[in-house]
Amino acid sequence: MAETREPIIQVENLVVRYGDRTVLDGVSFEVQRGEIFVILGGSGSGKTTLLRSLVGLIRPDSGRILVKGEDFTSMDEGERIELRKRMGMCFQGSALLNSISVGENVALPLREHTRLEESTIEIMTRIKLELVGLGGFEHYLPSELSGGMKKRAGIARAMAMDPEMIFYDEPSAGLDPIVAAGIDVLIRKMQETFKLSSVVVTHEMESVRLIADTVCMLEGGRAVGVGSLAQLEGSEHPYIQQFFARRPHDEEASDSAYARALTGLD
Amino acid sequence: MIAVVGRVGRWALNQLAAGARVAVLMVDTMTWLVVAPMRGKGFRFRSAVEHFVEFGVRSLPIVGMICFLVGVIIALQSSYTLDKWGANRFIATLVAVSALREMAPLMTAVLMTGRSGSAITAEIGTMKVGEEIDALDVMGLNPIKYLVAPKFIAMLLAVPCVTVIGMFIMIFGGYVASVFVVGVDSWIYLDMTTQAVAEKDLVMGLTKSVFFGIAICWVGVYRGLQVEGGAEGVGRKTTSSVVTSIFLIILIDLVFTVLFYFV
Repeated sequence: MAETREPIIQVENLVVRYGDRTVLDGVSFEVQRGEIFVILGGSGSGKTTLLRSLVGLIRPDSGRILVKGEDFTSMDEGERIELRKRMGMCFQGSALLNSISVGENVALPLREHTRLEESTIEIMTRIKLELVGLGGFEHYLPSELSGGMKKRAGIARAMAMDPEMIFYDEPSAGLDPIVAAGIDVLIRKMQETFKLSSVVVTHEMESVRLIADTVCMLEGGRAVGVGSLAQLEGSEHPYIQQFFARRPHDEEASDSAYARALTGLD
Repeated sequence: MIAVVGRVGRWALNQLAAGARVAVLMVDTMTWLVVAPMRGKGFRFRSAVEHFVEFGVRSLPIVGMICFLVGVIIALQSSYTLDKWGANRFIATLVAVSALREMAPLMTAVLMTGRSGSAITAEIGTMKVGEEIDALDVMGLNPIKYLVAPKFIAMLLAVPCVTVIGMFIMIFGGYVASVFVVGVDSWIYLDMTTQAVAEKDLVMGLTKSVFFGIAICWVGVYRGLQVEGGAEGVGRKTTSSVVTSIFLIILIDLVFTVLFYFV
């Protein structure tokens, strides 16, 4: 938990639309330096869109994203690249470049952004892989790794430039509970060792309980609750209660409504 | 009536938007190819060389074989008419002129579309589906600089280089067919060829092939970046990349033929 309240990311009234559909509708929150901030929500709640806006892959229609006090949404390409060197991102499918080895994947940002000696880069690559428990795998191709190992390699690549902020998109999606728990422990370890500010998108309550300092609950593109896990668990909001109790939506109320939904007639 | 106007309008708007996206892609590529390296932002030279080898050198066997066969075909087909006039030695002229001006650039471009244009679309499409393009972006590596610029310059150089070799092989194919099948005297054939070959023909063939290269690469990249959805999307866009590219090649060919006809 962050002792000093010093926001590293501030999101103000963020709105993102795909065509006519509003995916994010006025979301605001702050991520404190050094905490693990979890964005929680069901499928289609806009949580991945929110994460992609935070790293600048999606340009919001309105609202601001301040990263370390600077407006990320309106800066030019050069400043943006500079800031991105301070960010790491782990994609849902790990998104390792499939044509090069795991080690080269991790070394890629170092090769492109720094003027380090080749031998230094090799050592740093090995350190990062060791960190995520993949020591000795640098010559493997991504296709030769299992799902959990790919996730770990993705984290190693995100850590390559020693970032201040790290973003995880569904880190435990598609993994068995044991491997998923391992990833959660790794996320915690990264945050504790390097004082990393982490933003994690997930829908799995088990990981939230394990890693979250602050939770932001999204529903239909709105942040319906922001606070610690205990605060949210005590919330009166019906969607939050439903989500935490893992209760399904109510079935269609009446037969006539069901018939209308099927036939599309009024 | 209104529906028709609406549909035409929507179609036109879509085409305009597509044109704008292609223009943005072109400007981006040129920026990373020409402007950025001059400002010291670097160019991935190694990757460009690797791609040149892949697009150019590795396509030589198939391009060579096809060009040889087309040379044979042109020689035998023209002999069918020329033989009646006792003018078989003009096969050499016909083969040389059509190889330089038309057939070698066209055959090379079509083969390289099938071989490399489709590969570019499939590669970029798969990377887009696997979020690899986004990953590059987040790492602060511009995908155009990292992926497109090296491919573009490699293709731009590879197509004319392979075309020149294709031209010679095609003429050689014509020579083999004329001398060994039709029965033209070897020295007469060579003499007629050297007389027929003009600098202008070579310039025309190579000019076209440069533009063919541009078309192959940009269509490949553009279609690749259009991929949505999974493996199915990659397949669909790869097919469409080849079709669009061949269509553009024929169109460019027509424009240049008309241009050179009047000039």
